[in-house]
Amino acid sequence: MTDSQGRSRRDPATEPGSAAEPATADLAALLARVARGDQVAYEKVYDQLAGPVLGMVRRVVRDLAQSEEVMQEVLLELWRTASRFDRDKGSAGSWVMTIAHRRAIDRVRSEQKSAERELRAASAQIDYDEVTEAVEATLDRERVRRCMGSLTELQRESVTLAYYGSYTYDEVAGLLGVATGTVKTRMRDGLIRLRDCLGVE
Amino acid sequence: MRRGRPELHTLAGAYALDAVSDEDRARFERHLARCDSCAQEIRGLREATARIGASAALRPRAELKEQALRAAARTRQLPPVRRDAPAAGRGRRGLRAVSGRGSRLWSPRLATALAAGFLVVAAGMGAAMIGAQHRLDADQLRGHAIAAVLNAADVTMLTATVTTGGTATVLESRRERSLVFTAAGLRSLPAGASYQLWLMGPEGTRSAGMLPPSRAGMIGPMVVSGLAAGDDVGLTVEPAGGAARPTSAMIMKLGLSP
Repeated sequence: MTDSQGRSRRDPATEPGSAAEPATADLAALLARVARGDQVAYEKVYDQLAGPVLGMVRRVVRDLAQSEEVMQEVLLELWRTASRFDRDKGSAGSWVMTIAHRRAIDRVRSEQKSAERELRAASAQIDYDEVTEAVEATLDRERVRRCMGSLTELQRESVTLAYYGSYTYDEVAGLLGVATGTVKTRMRDGLIRLRDCLGVE
Repeated sequence: MRRGRPELHTLAGAYALDAVSDEDRARFERHLARCDSCAQEIRGLREATARIGASAALRPRAELKEQALRAAARTRQLPPVRRDAPAAGRGRRGLRAVSGRGSRLWSPRLATALAAGFLVVAAGMGAAMIGAQHRLDADQLRGHAIAAVLNAADVTMLTATVTTGGTATVLESRRERSLVFTAAGLRSLPAGASYQLWLMGPEGTRSAGMLPPSRAGMIGPMVVSGLAAGDDVGLTVEPAGGAARPTSAMIMKLGLSP
């Protein structure tokens, strides 16, 4: 389940006839090869992760050019630090998405330090319909949508404002007009419910 | 903050969402370090947030990939964090491991030195190892990969002449699906050009990486993994950042064992 991060099945370099190298090569195993300077493995990792990283960063950062920049930084960081990946601490996909999310959030927060903080109310709704440019990971997408739908409204808003809106929990509390303790609890409960619904460990 | 603050644990969700201030993050991470069940919970919540993020996947522009591969080819990687015993015990353990498990077990360091020296005779080995020392310290992992090839039961050594001058030597292991590449006496290239290694076979032609700079006339050892059945190895001269496909004629081609 570790490599289920929106893995795309469109890489022409790993089309059939390559019994030796299945397209579904385990991400953690690939990262171990990347750590040894294996550029072929790095290309495969890039193919698997660039789409998910870009999509997530784009929702946080909004501007496409900046998002591409962050994505490239994250993937280069991955090349540089592949030897530091520790599977005891979670799956490879989750490791990378965590790094990417932190970078995206840092980018937004540092920008907002110099600019007037604007309320990004639109981030309360996730738009799942960017059909034209979306990678066709429909099954995963559908499942996440369904699981998000299973949260209470407050849980969903708290999780979404935090994850895509890059707000801290006390900012979210301010935006939603509820106590910070409540927001913290909703974030945790919401994620636990998502975790169970998505069937991740 | 104070130990055992009951509400600290409720920060797990906000932490997994990166919805915390730097101070909160530091505080929670101190808490995580001594709370196994919290670390376990964070793992699960991170998997969930990663899935949310991944479900928004977009297809990146194709040219970004080439940029990324070029950037990687010229970026140095971090060595792994050592998690083993203190340095004092390491040397002795290493020795025991080598002698205790027979001559087939070549330590990574020794393996790297051997490959670097084209399997030099024992007399020359000490010098080769000293010369390579500073590099080896930073490249332990690569050393492990080299050792894996050299220790493989099916390791084979092949050499070929480079048409523009010099020789290439490859130690390959089918079983490890890896090879160790070294070269000597290659003509030095003008700025803006460098040597690029390729794997060519039924799986297509893939870059196996740019050759590292020459040191005292020798290049490598460089580990290439991901060998597929029927692959051959080739060498071309490309623009310094590397190319996605060979853009010039092969100056060396080596047929690997079938």
